[in-house]
Amino acid sequence: MNNLALVIEDDLDLSAIFAEALNTAGFETEIIRDGHVAKERLTQTQPALVLLDMHLPHISGADLLSQIQSDERLKDTIVIVATADARMGDSFRDEADFVLIKPISFTQLRDLTTRLHSNLK
Amino acid sequence: MQFIKQLYNFESSDPDEARRKKLLNTLLTGIFAAAFVGSIITLILVSLNIVAFSEVFLIFSSSLIFAIGTVIIFFINRWSGKLASLLFLVLFTIALSFSDTPAQLANGRSLFVYAIPIAISSLILIPPASFIFSALSSAIITYLAISVSITPNIPGIIGFFILALVSWLSSRSLENALRELRVINADLDQIVAERTQALSESLTREQIEAGRSQAILESIADGVVVYGLHGKAIQANPALSRLLDIPFDQIIQSTVNQLAHSDQLDPKYRDKLERLLSDPGYQITSQRVEWDQKTLSISAATVLDPAGNLIGTVGVFRDFTREAEIEKMKNSFLAIVSHELRTPLNAIIGYAEMLKESILGPINENQARASDRIMSNTDRLLSIVSDLLDQAQIEAGKLTIKMRPFSPSELLENVHGVMDKAAADKGLSLTSSIDPELPQSLNGDLARLQQILVNLTNNAIKFTDTGSVQIRLKPLNPKHWIMEVLDTGYGIAENEIPKIFETFQQVGSGATREHGGFGLGLSIVKQLAELMGGKVTVKSQEGVGSTFTITLPLISNEKTEENKDE
Repeated sequence: MNNLALVIEDDLDLSAIFAEALNTAGFETEIIRDGHVAKERLTQTQPALVLLDMHLPHISGADLLSQIQSDERLKDTIVIVATADARMGDSFRDEADFVLIKPISFTQLRDLTTRLHSNLK
Repeated sequence: MQFIKQLYNFESSDPDEARRKKLLNTLLTGIFAAAFVGSIITLILVSLNIVAFSEVFLIFSSSLIFAIGTVIIFFINRWSGKLASLLFLVLFTIALSFSDTPAQLANGRSLFVYAIPIAISSLILIPPASFIFSALSSAIITYLAISVSITPNIPGIIGFFILALVSWLSSRSLENALRELRVINADLDQIVAERTQALSESLTREQIEAGRSQAILESIADGVVVYGLHGKAIQANPALSRLLDIPFDQIIQSTVNQLAHSDQLDPKYRDKLERLLSDPGYQITSQRVEWDQKTLSISAATVLDPAGNLIGTVGVFRDFTREAEIEKMKNSFLAIVSHELRTPLNAIIGYAEMLKESILGPINENQARASDRIMSNTDRLLSIVSDLLDQAQIEAGKLTIKMRPFSPSELLENVHGVMDKAAADKGLSLTSSIDPELPQSLNGDLARLQQILVNLTNNAIKFTDTGSVQIRLKPLNPKHWIMEVLDTGYGIAENEIPKIFETFQQVGSGATREHGGFGLGLSIVKQLAELMGGKVTVKSQEGVGSTFTITLPLISNEKTEENKDE
């Protein structure tokens, strides 16, 4: 299992914070801010974890989520959905491994992903 | 023709005089015609040498005199009927005295001729005039009798007076009958005039009232339509025609059903519109529909006559497009604001945490404290943003409750996850318990229940300095369960309790400044509880603590599979 985590989040600061939390947790992190790029990277890579924002330019988080689900290669990928909309978050509880409602605490995300990272091996 | 009519036409205030004048004129015309024809025949006979002029001189000259006399009297009649009649009768009586030999006139075959003026006089003069002419006739025959030395015909004279009496009586009764008839006619005319006047007044009044109603109807901006009992539109205004973009003539006489099946109406509103307009007030009195590009707000009511009988329904259509747009804008504005504010606030909290956790390098104690303050203040700001959004959504009726199965322990875990730190920061113990009698799986909106508990717990922590905050979930009865939040805080004065659930209210004037917040928290708790079919109650003792209790309907999981929300 590789160590790659994709942070798919269009906001400059949030993506940096999330990436920092995942780095601290031990992941090798790549930030993607655009739906199209994310779609492409998901076909090229086999990330251990995807932190997915639901409000993305061009392609919605929901579309990317179903893409991950339908891709056999990515069946072991842990998906954390991040959204500001609690309603929307509820509707993804079945598809995603974790749903985090914004505001997302740095420490909570770090602690969660640290636990997940330690379970990888 | 017009001229002849004019000659015969008499304008008189006395209808009897007019009648007499007409009668005289008719007589004059007859005599004139006879005299004229007589003169012409005489002239023809003379010119053909059938008779000698000397033989017919008397006839010719008298015919001529008669013709001229009648014309003169005819014109006198126009000026004074009485004088003309008198002249005519006198002239006629004198003329009669030359129509035969004095002996024959006084006591022979021509005695009867004097009956003619006597009879006529009562008709064309006044009724008693027949006596004057019987006297005159008697005088003439007496004079004639004496002139030829014979005895006047006494029975004849008596006969004249009897005739005068009969003429007088018949003329008088004729005049009386006519007078009575005129009175009856006048009464009738009066009645007809009065009725006509009343009818025209009421018609005018009705027209004015109808006109006024029509004017009002036509000048209002809302579309109005009235359906009669037979279901057809009996009245409408031009505004409706404009609003629906249907020609006015087409609206009138169309049925509710036809309107509801119009192509312009979004089909999903068909049944609602039909029900509203055909049976207003049964379930709903107003309905919003999409009509073409417009949003229309339609309200309906039954129309009763003054006696209280149903005579139809009236529908009022208002263009709600602009309001609907504004509402939509407001909602999307709130959603955007909510999202756009949360994102930078999340970043602020994230950076502050990173500083505090020394991710970005070692920091001293003061810097760590400053990071804490940044975080807690940003949290406050976030909760205000959330509260405002929730309040706006509740007000707009947009906040929906999504029921799904959840476990009470999941609910408490979530609340602890959010509130543990705040309690620990204040040195309070936050504990929770679930009554073993409570079902393992409940139905409800987990996020909203969590919001209620977080709000109540947050308040409890805010207003408690020492002691504990407890959360308890337990069944109340077979149909309800409760969530309780107990604290050992300041408590709430009894007179303040009714106010605490009001929007933008907080206990005590200084409380807002001291404890922060907008006073929206409890108001939202109450409204959310009510949206879920529940209620909130509070027990409190100043200096001892408060207990907030949310009572909610207990919905078993089996049921909700079929009764899923929306």
